[in-house]
Amino acid sequence: MAEIVAERYTGASIKRSEDPRILTGAGRYVDDIKLAGMLHAAFVRSPLAHGTVLSVDVSAARALPGVVAVLTGADLEAMTVPGPDPLMALFGAAGPTPEFTLLATDKVRLMGDPVAVVIAESRYLAEDGCELVEVDYDDLPPVMNATCALDPSSPPLFANLGDNIARPHSRHEFGDVAGTFAHADRVIDFHIDVHRHQNVPMEGRGCVASWDADLAAMTVYAATQSVHVTRNGVATRLGIEPDQVRVLAGDIGGSFGLKIGASREELAVAAASRHLGRPVKWVEDRGENLMVSGQAREESFDVRAAVSHDGDLLGLDVTVVVDTGAYPGMGMGAMVPDIMQAMLPGPYQVAALGFESTAVITNKATYVAYRGPWASETFVRERVLDLIAKDLGLDPVEIRLRNIAPRTDPPARMITGSPLVGVTTNESLERVAQLVDFPAFRRRQAQARALGRYLGVGVATFIEAAPGPRPEAPDGALGSESMRLRLTEDGIVALFTGQMPHGQSHQTTLAQIAADEFGVPFEQVRVVVGDSDVVPFGLTGGSRSATMTGGVALHGARALKAKVLDFAAHLMEARAQDLLITDGNVWVRGDPASAIAVSEVARRAAAGQFGADVDAALEVEATFDGGQGGWSGGTHCAIVEVDAETGLVQVERYVAVEDCGALINPAVVEGQIRGGVAQGIGAVLLERSAYGEDGSFQSATFMDYLMPTTCDIPRIEIEHLETVPLDADVNFRGVGEGGMIVAPPTVVNAIEDALSPFGVRIYEQHLPPARILELIAFWRPVEDG
Amino acid sequence: MVDITMRVNGATREGSPEARKTLADFLREDLDLTGTHLGCEHGVCGACTVIVDGRAVRSCLMLAVQAAGREVTTIEGLALDGGLGVLQQAMWDSHSFQCGFCTPGFVMQATAFLADHPDAGEQQIREALSGNICRCTGYQSIIDGVLLAAERNREG
Amino acid sequence: MKLPPVEYEAPTTVSEAIDLLAEQLDEASVLAGGQSLIPLLALRLARPEVLIDINGIAELSGISATDGWVSIGAMTREYVAEESEVVADAVPLLAAALPLIGHEAIRSRGTIGGSLAHADPAAELPAVARALDAEFVVRGPTGDRVIPAAQWFEGYLTTARRSDELLVEVRFPATGPGTGVSFAEVARRHGDFAIVGLAVSLALTGGVISDARLAFAGVSDVPVRAAAAEDLLVGERPSTELFDEAARRATGDLDPPADLHGSSDYRKTVAAAVVRRGLRAAAANAARGSD
Repeated sequence: MAEIVAERYTGASIKRSEDPRILTGAGRYVDDIKLAGMLHAAFVRSPLAHGTVLSVDVSAARALPGVVAVLTGADLEAMTVPGPDPLMALFGAAGPTPEFTLLATDKVRLMGDPVAVVIAESRYLAEDGCELVEVDYDDLPPVMNATCALDPSSPPLFANLGDNIARPHSRHEFGDVAGTFAHADRVIDFHIDVHRHQNVPMEGRGCVASWDADLAAMTVYAATQSVHVTRNGVATRLGIEPDQVRVLAGDIGGSFGLKIGASREELAVAAASRHLGRPVKWVEDRGENLMVSGQAREESFDVRAAVSHDGDLLGLDVTVVVDTGAYPGMGMGAMVPDIMQAMLPGPYQVAALGFESTAVITNKATYVAYRGPWASETFVRERVLDLIAKDLGLDPVEIRLRNIAPRTDPPARMITGSPLVGVTTNESLERVAQLVDFPAFRRRQAQARALGRYLGVGVATFIEAAPGPRPEAPDGALGSESMRLRLTEDGIVALFTGQMPHGQSHQTTLAQIAADEFGVPFEQVRVVVGDSDVVPFGLTGGSRSATMTGGVALHGARALKAKVLDFAAHLMEARAQDLLITDGNVWVRGDPASAIAVSEVARRAAAGQFGADVDAALEVEATFDGGQGGWSGGTHCAIVEVDAETGLVQVERYVAVEDCGALINPAVVEGQIRGGVAQGIGAVLLERSAYGEDGSFQSATFMDYLMPTTCDIPRIEIEHLETVPLDADVNFRGVGEGGMIVAPPTVVNAIEDALSPFGVRIYEQHLPPARILELIAFWRPVEDG
Repeated sequence: MVDITMRVNGATREGSPEARKTLADFLREDLDLTGTHLGCEHGVCGACTVIVDGRAVRSCLMLAVQAAGREVTTIEGLALDGGLGVLQQAMWDSHSFQCGFCTPGFVMQATAFLADHPDAGEQQIREALSGNICRCTGYQSIIDGVLLAAERNREG
Repeated sequence: MKLPPVEYEAPTTVSEAIDLLAEQLDEASVLAGGQSLIPLLALRLARPEVLIDINGIAELSGISATDGWVSIGAMTREYVAEESEVVADAVPLLAAALPLIGHEAIRSRGTIGGSLAHADPAAELPAVARALDAEFVVRGPTGDRVIPAAQWFEGYLTTARRSDELLVEVRFPATGPGTGVSFAEVARRHGDFAIVGLAVSLALTGGVISDARLAFAGVSDVPVRAAAAEDLLVGERPSTELFDEAARRATGDLDPPADLHGSSDYRKTVAAAVVRRGLRAAAANAARGSD
């Protein structure tokens, strides 16, 4: 008898179901939302970095035709419930909680700090209104760097804290730090700085808040990585129950960690909507996005490395100071040292680690999560390995091979605790060496140097917890993922997930998994996202969705299928264990003629012809805790050319050998890697959130905050390693953050290699052309005569 | 307010925008064509790109009143039968995009470019699209989509 | 980032435009291509009372060549000049510079006159105009004035155009045979404003430089002729040593501005590199042209 054979989707680059609407302009982003009676908000913002607010006069603004309301910080305090950022409640604060009002009332703490909100018939009129609000400030000395913030005499930004410490100094040790350093052949010291830069999604933050006074219900159309976290934040701030708030999210124009929870502006807009009884829209413009939405990565490190003459990295002692900006937001700045500490040894056998940290408060935008928030630990480690190699006269690939923990059973443990289960760094580094052919490159490099051209090659390795090995996957709300799966009346397998894709293609990848597991065509699966009334709790972030959500989709589809087959068994008068579902049909094994369409089974279940003893509710709730979890990681390699006359750098070639377990959709995986790498290249060569010493923000347009373009990012060659499966079913691992974590050290290592004729050593991440020339001038050997 | 009439996606459209209103805002707000996106509003990111009288322009750098009497094509107007044009299909096949916010700008700019340079190679395409910013993709998949469209156009 | 309230006029003739300018003087901004002005308005850095939109004045567009000059109407779009065979043949330095202006979409709207009236010292066209000693024709209530490039650029974003005058035409002298040109530029990214740019025109006669024109973009508040370098070059044969010395002379007295993209010293260093590269390229072009 003929077998019915179905297509397999998982592992194939299935075309995205998101694309037809994206490609035709039919995507629905927050700024596309139009509601009857909708008003528009714009914010009056502080021109000072630090100051007291003496008075706010809104009378002229209120009188402007088309302006419906102007709410000051004081007005908003009266109509909201004070409290910290809702995400701090989710993750827990890692430091003292500063007290501040939703919009500034008595103090402004960064250039752009919102002081009042103007609600008008159009955004044009709202901005006109903002210009008419008169605010009287008294300047205060700005606190613009960590040195100043650490000085106890610096003016505290928050009265209740008394100082500018976001997270007090702490130190932890793993292994025998003192002994390791005492007995090492060499101890080498470095100071390494990572600069402030930021997420810059192409769509800014924003929402439309709509209060229905009759129902005492708030609807928020949001751009968010979690509709539930946003819902909770809005409910808490407005002093209403979470079930009085419904958060809807459609298409989201990128986020990279920025759009989590609810910003002060969005909460002000929600309060304004309730106050006015009309929908209010606010979408930040690019100036606001660059100036105040949030920034990341400003960290400075003092590193001591204990090494042997042969290049063993025996121990590291690291001190980091994180500049968390003015408002704690979700507190990522204060939290990030913990993750850095845990991750710092990477895939290497480092026997001892000392780690101390402090986080400080300054008059800058909030430190937010930016794609791999802890990434500087990889930058520091991979820079240090190259610097040590140079110091000891070793090859950068050799020093890594020497120090990478071999794959053992049971797996080696990082000195900070996590087991390096399934880590394939060795293999990825060796494969990179094959793809790049370093000896041939060295010959080309030498020839180029003779002609005054400076080529360089750099490698770096990384691992990321995506979601992390058992049992180290995160606890609490993020330690598992839920999903509701239903076979609808018309035969659609509907997946209700709290994931909130903003470029990750979940509506495609999750459907691939479910289609395969359940046995229907890809087109017969629908992934439902973006409605807090309908989907279970979830958050897209932390490189967890491939494993956690992919896993719950797989197991949930399996459970739903079992339920459907139990029901179908009644319909078809067969035993459930004799039934199969393939290509959208249920049939009795060995008898293709018995096939009934899944849609028909669904219709019959909905028709309710069976009695109470037959379960015709074709729906399951599934939860998945990550299974065996695991690491993603790999090795990246860049070849660059540095123009030593102008300092311009071109990335000529970029190779990534990655291990993210089983691939759901290779094109999606590769897109994530390339996007992350592009951000890393951008960080090194182009992007900096720039502040003056007077507190002025200097990169508030795309003319000053430079984004990488098509001419800055080369073709990125990607190879995937076939890895040892850790779990019987779920071996997909996250890949969203890795590119951005490892690309900066990869590129900086290559630049330093290119400049080695000048003896350059690089202790920083941002290398614009002017800086390259400064480094050459500083390090080049002084000529005789 | 200035009364204006223009052709948008083949249809005659009218409006009375303030003179200061950009073409981008007019398309989005007055004509409900929200496919054109605002990424920077100062002419650098290209997300607002539309085609006016056959030329790709940044609609955030044009006043609506300046488009009076002109032929404007937006992303919604590329395949009026609701299907996908060659470029759009090629981009779908190439997994060109992720979040989609930059997409209309890229599609319009590439459409205008390919019309004038049907045999462009990769380097030319990169330069032609260097004024459109994407944060998600690293550009390679977008370039591949354009190259595929050019190839399919040549094959006819 | 919405434009502020502003009154709007759209004259259809030059004389209408001049009448409006005479009435409004410094309260008005002339809207040509808008690629520089509209961002300034969106950022609310420019606050004119009135926008005088001259896009509807048909007589302001056009390219013609007469008597050794190429006349370009002020409203001629940059892309039109880029595609013009007249410009390619007779003003190759302009043809070389045009593709470097921003991106294609910018050049769809941007105009030759608009860019030169805006006079951003880091832009390409002011350097080209200065190098070639272009002439600027302005028209006011009392008639036309012709202003040579050396007097046109007065300061940062400031030209010799009076508030009641409209730039109607820019004239470029036609380039003679045996001339090689180049526009060399160092920019952070493709299409960006130059950190330093250099417009170069070298005429070679019998292998000897008979005319040398070098004008910088991005080193001052106006485009700058490198007169000392030009003097050195005339009468000499191209060589690496000559060009190195020209670079030293061209940059020795420079005091370029500092900004986020580079210090003053950095710009000076880059300027020297740009001189060397620009002269090499122009000399090579001249050699090719005379084959």
